[in-house]
Amino acid sequence: MSTREIFDSRIQSGLLLLPTLLVSVVFLYYPTALAVRTSFFDSSFGQGDEFVALENYVTLLTDPGYHSSLLLSILFAAVVVVGVIAVSLYLTFLIHEVDTGQGLYLISVIWPYALPPAVGALVFLFIAHPTLGVLTGPIEAVGVDVNWFNNGPQAFVVVALAAIWKQIGYNVIFMIAAMNNVPNTLTETAELDGVTGLRRLVSVYVPIMTPTLFFLVIINTIYAFFSTFAFVDLLTSGGPSNATNILIFDLYQEGFSFFNFGVASAKSVVLFLLVGVLMFVQFRVTDEYSYYGA
Amino acid sequence: MGELLQYAKRRADSLRGDNVTKTTYDAKPGTHLQLWLLVFAVVFPIAVAVIVSTKQTGVVTSLGDLLPGSYAVENYREALVDYQFGRFMWNSLAMSVVIVVGKLVVSVFAAMAIVYYRVPYKDLVFLFILFTLLLPVPVRFIPLFQLMNDLGWSNTILAITVPYIASATTVFILRQHFLSIPTSIVETAKLDGVGPLRFMLFVLIPMSKGVLVGVSIIMFVYAWNQYLWPLIIIDSEANQVAQVGLQLLQGDVQGGQLSWSLVMAGSTLTLLPPLLLMIVFRKPLLETFSIQQK
Amino acid sequence: MTTVTLQNLRKEFDDVVAVNGIDLEINHGEFLVIVGPSGCGKSTTLRLLAGLESTTDGRIEMNGQDVTTVEPKDRNVAMVFQNYALYPHMTGRRNITFGMKSSGDFTDEEIDRRVTEAADTLDIADLLDRKPDAMSGGERQRVALGRAIVRDPDAFLMDEPLSNLDAKLRIQMRAELARLHSTLETTTVYVTHDQTEAMTLGERVVVMNDGQIMQVDEPQVLYDFPANRFVAEFIGDPAMNMIPVEIQDGRAVHETFEIPLPSGTDQLKSNQNGVGDVQVIDGQRAILGIRPEDLHLSDAQTDGQLPTINAEVNVREPLGDSLLLHCSIGSTSCNIQAEPRTQVTAGETVSVTYDPARLHLFDAETGEALYHSESRQSTSEQAPSKLST
Repeated sequence: MSTREIFDSRIQSGLLLLPTLLVSVVFLYYPTALAVRTSFFDSSFGQGDEFVALENYVTLLTDPGYHSSLLLSILFAAVVVVGVIAVSLYLTFLIHEVDTGQGLYLISVIWPYALPPAVGALVFLFIAHPTLGVLTGPIEAVGVDVNWFNNGPQAFVVVALAAIWKQIGYNVIFMIAAMNNVPNTLTETAELDGVTGLRRLVSVYVPIMTPTLFFLVIINTIYAFFSTFAFVDLLTSGGPSNATNILIFDLYQEGFSFFNFGVASAKSVVLFLLVGVLMFVQFRVTDEYSYYGA
Repeated sequence: MGELLQYAKRRADSLRGDNVTKTTYDAKPGTHLQLWLLVFAVVFPIAVAVIVSTKQTGVVTSLGDLLPGSYAVENYREALVDYQFGRFMWNSLAMSVVIVVGKLVVSVFAAMAIVYYRVPYKDLVFLFILFTLLLPVPVRFIPLFQLMNDLGWSNTILAITVPYIASATTVFILRQHFLSIPTSIVETAKLDGVGPLRFMLFVLIPMSKGVLVGVSIIMFVYAWNQYLWPLIIIDSEANQVAQVGLQLLQGDVQGGQLSWSLVMAGSTLTLLPPLLLMIVFRKPLLETFSIQQK
Repeated sequence: MTTVTLQNLRKEFDDVVAVNGIDLEINHGEFLVIVGPSGCGKSTTLRLLAGLESTTDGRIEMNGQDVTTVEPKDRNVAMVFQNYALYPHMTGRRNITFGMKSSGDFTDEEIDRRVTEAADTLDIADLLDRKPDAMSGGERQRVALGRAIVRDPDAFLMDEPLSNLDAKLRIQMRAELARLHSTLETTTVYVTHDQTEAMTLGERVVVMNDGQIMQVDEPQVLYDFPANRFVAEFIGDPAMNMIPVEIQDGRAVHETFEIPLPSGTDQLKSNQNGVGDVQVIDGQRAILGIRPEDLHLSDAQTDGQLPTINAEVNVREPLGDSLLLHCSIGSTSCNIQAEPRTQVTAGETVSVTYDPARLHLFDAETGEALYHSESRQSTSEQAPSKLST
């Protein structure tokens, strides 16, 4: 009944919205439209465009390199999402359980939220460097030959670890809020019923935190697909032999190493559809579970 | 079935009072130990970086080498002055501040129009802004690069700030916050005939201080940590930002002209601004995050 | 001089009719209370008056001028909200002055003078430099009142202003509001769901239900002569008992009892509520209304010739100053307010009698009042004589 809409000047509201709309149209919508358009052209830097219809998409469909990059990205995202959620959830649970030093523990695990990926990448490059790394000695002592500059799977693991490390902070921030929202009476009921330790986490907290966890799964997936560029670029440059060549890095190379703007645009459009699907899933899932939050 | 029986038995036990299990508190010492180990793992890489930044060479091949050196002043001076890191930091700061201030102003305007004006198609406009969440930089950097060339903005601060000014996230968070301001306060303003400008400056903004600070931190961290877009669009060292500056330093290391201790000094410098802001303003930051998820 | 007239006022929200054709005259300086259950349209009516909602149909006049479409700020009314609506970042003083300064109609000296005056009236001088965070609920509401009175508005509109306060403070603030009104004599429209507040504060009380006015009268008249079943049950706590009966030859006949209905035709004719002669409805089904305090355990000595009713006690609730008995009279449940410390146990059957001057009849279908055993005029005549004795 009551309303917040206390002003009604159309001119004023138009002026207030103008900057956001202008920037959105010029720098967000227009480039996206441009990408869609360019994806139908054979367009290279400094050359005229030639309309090629769906040829660029056909190229993507038939390029085994792109297929493996797509599969690699999905595998990478899966590893990162599962890793981040598992580690963060356990950390959050431990912090939730202690009384003393909670604030200090919290800040010492959420700080990677502020960590620039480029810094994270370089630090990892340094501590896990195959010849110089401080961790290399101890790891080799247990019988693993640290050789990720040439060993694909090892490179994949290093990039994934760095990516997981950086994302823990963000996840714990949301998880601790969700876990603190679990009514105390539920915790106490669980205690009375003898549901202790990890079982309480899995059978009491996790179900109640479901909306937050879904939100984080989507956010982490988007993160793994797009925001891990700096890790790949600085740690492995997509190598060795494309073992870490995830979609976003592949797209960057297509555009700025090979200057195939047509194909690169088609790849952008594919990424756009990917984000779209992820966001759509998030909205649907959040909707479905929203009653938990009420 | 078995579980149910166990449950019933425990229930009966606890009712009789002879076997009331004392739960969480027994686990505390172990919990602290686990937390210590995990916190150590999360902090270790960056601790190494800080320690190495104080050493002469940065050759740390065993854990025994992890003692602080005495070259801190020398290293940081060299990074800041000789390797232009002061310049990079300054560029990053300018970029981040322009983005934060721009986003805040423009988003407060937009959110105010969306919440407090009774105008047609408002919901549509809001959707139009929200839809830009589907268009992150990685999806459109190829056409954006072309657009910047056309505008002649390449290699300028305009290129790395203006495209970020429209922010669906910020508008969304502010809108959620505005919707939580009691209607009666808004209506009081209406009854008193408080105009839009006065309302914004003296009611809305003071009542949104916490959220505005929180959003600013989120946006600062986001802007400061941008890597891919500056890498593409800025090609002169004089205009480069810290994240890409790190990549330049790393290149020199690979070329053998530079010691790792300088790279770690640069990494530490790059981490400091977002980290300090996050630690100082963690309270409004965490509160703002809790709005974002809704 | 502020009079307010509402003519056929109507407000629809999408397909919900919140206010369904209201006609109301508010007199100058009057303290008018609008009371009703939640969703009855009382707050909407107030908000229409303030101009916070636009009318769907009808007309609002203030001092004879049509203000139906006038902006809220130009109506010169002040509103007090349930949640105080204080700006949390402003001190008490700034909260009070912010609106005045926005309007630009007042000089700084004038504002200062008025704040001091208001602070004196409300005794809030020591709150002026505090922020709402550092005030109690009662203090906040006082500052909110201060903000309303400094404007010297033509009318105060109050939307459940005491509902957020605890019971004790509510009673204290109630008295204070009454005192404030007698000092300022500003026309006040006060909305509440609490009938006690309505009865104690209102010079006249409007009872609303389903977007319509059920009755407008002075508090005691509402209580003694409810115009319909809704008002009868809404006003008074515990609520009036409603017993289905049939009217036969001037008597109310229930399955377990029958009682005569006092029928002075003179009284019935002078009844202002348009209540008809009881003879007219002979043979009809009706609802007999008797308030719990008008029923008492019969005492052979004092009410010898009155008929008695047998009631079975189901639950006894000692309230301290009285004893409330939940009873069954045949298949009808019924509350009786007995003397405290009466020795009655649950399950016991008691003999009950009633005050013959306090009987009401309502139409079984429409709920309209058909009959009150005492006429309105005679009460008002009685009042001075009571004083003299």
